[in-house]
Amino acid sequence: MSELDKAIEQLRACRPIPEPQVRELCHKARELLIEEGNVVGVDAPVTICGDIHGQFHDLMELFRVGGDVPDTNYLFMGDFVDRGFYSLESFLLLLCLKVRYPDRITLIRGNHESRQITTVYGFYDECLRKYGSANVWRYCCEVFDYLALGALVTGAASNLPPSSAPFADPATAANMASDTSDVEIEILNSAGQITNRFPRQRRSPHQPQQQAPQPNSQPSSSSQDADVDDAPPPDSQATLSPSPSQSQGTNQLPSQTGAPGTSASSGARSQNDGGAILCVHGGLSPLIDTLDKIRLLDRKQEVPHEGAMCDLLWSDPDEIDGWGLSPRGAGFLFGSDIVKCFNHKNGLSMVARAHQLVMEGFKEMFEAEVVTVWSAPNYCYRCGNVAAILELGEDGSGGGYVPKSNGDVGRSLGLGGWEGPVNGEMRRMGGPGRRYRVFEAAPQDSRGMPAKKPVADYFL
Amino acid sequence: MDAHNIPNLNTLKTSRGRGGGLRSRALRLHQSGPYGEASKEAKDAIIQNTDQDAAQSRLSAVELGYLNDPFAKSFVQGPPVRRYPIINRGTYVRTTAIDHLIQRFLSASPSSQKQIISLGAGTDTRYFRLVKDNPDLRSTLIYHELDFPTTTIAKVSTVQRNTYLRSFLPSEPEFSSENSYMYTPTYNVHALDLRDLAIADPASLPNVRNLRRDIPTLLLSECCLIYLLPAVSTRIISSFTTHFLPTPVPLALVLYEPIHPHDPFGRIMVSNLSQRGIVLESLETFHDLDAQRKRLKDAGFDSGQEGRSVLESWRQWIVEEEKERVAGCEMVDEIEEWELLAGHYSICWGWRDGHDNEDLDVFSRAWKDLRQEG
Repeated sequence: MSELDKAIEQLRACRPIPEPQVRELCHKARELLIEEGNVVGVDAPVTICGDIHGQFHDLMELFRVGGDVPDTNYLFMGDFVDRGFYSLESFLLLLCLKVRYPDRITLIRGNHESRQITTVYGFYDECLRKYGSANVWRYCCEVFDYLALGALVTGAASNLPPSSAPFADPATAANMASDTSDVEIEILNSAGQITNRFPRQRRSPHQPQQQAPQPNSQPSSSSQDADVDDAPPPDSQATLSPSPSQSQGTNQLPSQTGAPGTSASSGARSQNDGGAILCVHGGLSPLIDTLDKIRLLDRKQEVPHEGAMCDLLWSDPDEIDGWGLSPRGAGFLFGSDIVKCFNHKNGLSMVARAHQLVMEGFKEMFEAEVVTVWSAPNYCYRCGNVAAILELGEDGSGGGYVPKSNGDVGRSLGLGGWEGPVNGEMRRMGGPGRRYRVFEAAPQDSRGMPAKKPVADYFL
Repeated sequence: MDAHNIPNLNTLKTSRGRGGGLRSRALRLHQSGPYGEASKEAKDAIIQNTDQDAAQSRLSAVELGYLNDPFAKSFVQGPPVRRYPIINRGTYVRTTAIDHLIQRFLSASPSSQKQIISLGAGTDTRYFRLVKDNPDLRSTLIYHELDFPTTTIAKVSTVQRNTYLRSFLPSEPEFSSENSYMYTPTYNVHALDLRDLAIADPASLPNVRNLRRDIPTLLLSECCLIYLLPAVSTRIISSFTTHFLPTPVPLALVLYEPIHPHDPFGRIMVSNLSQRGIVLESLETFHDLDAQRKRLKDAGFDSGQEGRSVLESWRQWIVEEEKERVAGCEMVDEIEEWELLAGHYSICWGWRDGHDNEDLDVFSRAWKDLRQEG
């Protein structure tokens, strides 16, 4: 067994590895990450994950639900550290897996992968406590500076392959058993049972009311929104039911203009092409209108307080028009018009991002042009939320990406997933088929005692 | 825990049946464990310790510039603890919102005497802040703090030692021999178990020294009554409304308490606190703003009942300029979490106007347009 495999074993048991080994690991990781572009190219199938925040035992639960590395191809959208009690073990395990299986796991940077934020939100203190010095924190921060800013997933299928998973509720099964041919969205619980399934084309205005898709539909009853009022209203129809006219265009798209050597984007799109998905931690930036502008950034630095790199890691979608000021004090709020324009211009079918706690684990907005994926269940051991991961299937056309490339350079020149304006409107092609696996926090018993006494989590 | 008691984690992970297995048994064991059958004294000690928790949170917010309170550090035992940004913001909103209600009360006919009774006041610095900002209050405001003797001893001893604190008192106080209480004509710290006020027979109620029964009075409970069973806290309030301060004295009650125990965040809150031995006894009964308003009305505060969450207070009471200043104290990344947390705390107030008294409608005048502000 190699040293690396031993380190993985040790970290899987939630035991930190010695400081010299961390130093070596971080050095290797930097060598690997420096080769990656700002926007990493990733082939479907891939499982997209949101914030982890040092919740090590819940990360183990995520791997149980989503499959292990390297069996499953993972993309983590940042915020590995801070808040939870095991930031160190969580991040180092992911980093070990990255070094061990570089083509099976992609890590991009979140706003917490920063020197300044980790000194406020716990990772710095945790390193100091576990090693007696800040050296390990410093090594990790040097790795943070090399993490990619985004990933571009290509080769995703527009329809999910028929699944043999059982239904959680036999009554649901009776309603949906015949819909396996053309599934756009499937939601599974942590036991691998289907709790909801939405076909792409069968949805029509005369559909029975009880089958109307709900974006927040959940396997468990535990996920009612907390009584906090300003969550945008669930736009159920808008979110999960593209009109028939929208989905018909899938097989008559114009060919894409891809850069030479990127086979995925040359020639006609296959009928099962779910389009390209941009993954970033936060969202869009007013300074970024094309993917190429992300590729041109100098990312190897601490996250700045403002500017394009900061925005990609800090921004949030919101029910507004255009751009708005962020209550976080960094990044911006962006509305559906901004996303639609950006996706159109860059040939994207969807932006997947993390960054915001969503009680149901995932949330689609703007007719599914943006999805938030949140992977830290019962966040901060306090919020009572469930978590989710997003699986995208492959379209079968064999993308053939060169790993570690800088994504799909030149994609922004193409028309991408849009048919272009029709009758004065832009008509959108169908996005990728999306399988959400929703899971709850790992059982309390598996956690052991917290590494330190919890601070005042409540006002007393 | 002995080694043989440590469950095999793998068996736990695979047997996650609904409500079954080791998990629920462990839960039951825990409930009957260190706190389930704890003595009254042990439970009291846990509640008393929540005061140091609040004092630390206050100091954290002060040191980061959220609040201006030169007295905060005098009452903290041990080294200061830096709280997370959302806790600091919550401490700021809670303090500022209650200050807002009190300032309006005090500035309605400012020359006349008024009284504040703070239940479970602990090491609260409010009196010192008030007289620092307005020295006239040393003669016009009668202030009482009620708390367990163990808590008052710490506070009174601190005041006795600290000449800076003493310089804000109206006169040299009378200290009890073991420092459990201190009296001045206007500022008084009483060593009193509030449960001793939960008795029906007025003759058996303890005497509260220097208590005025003839001037407008505001009762304040900052996360205090919630630790008592609903019947007990209702009886305590009733002792004030009928015995200590019967009509026609204008009387008000301001409550700061958690709400919403039934949604996912609320359920985890109840469970996390119970693991620390903290039971919010009346949360289930007074579980939302409507229930709190009804509670106030039923208790006799029939001239008006209002309430809002800490989140609403932040949004509606803090002016934009001040919001920006506060946002500048620290970067608050956890916006969604802030909204969850702040949505689970409430500030509620109800009042009873008097009659045959020159200040009979002092509370209505003080608070009447607060509704419009919201």
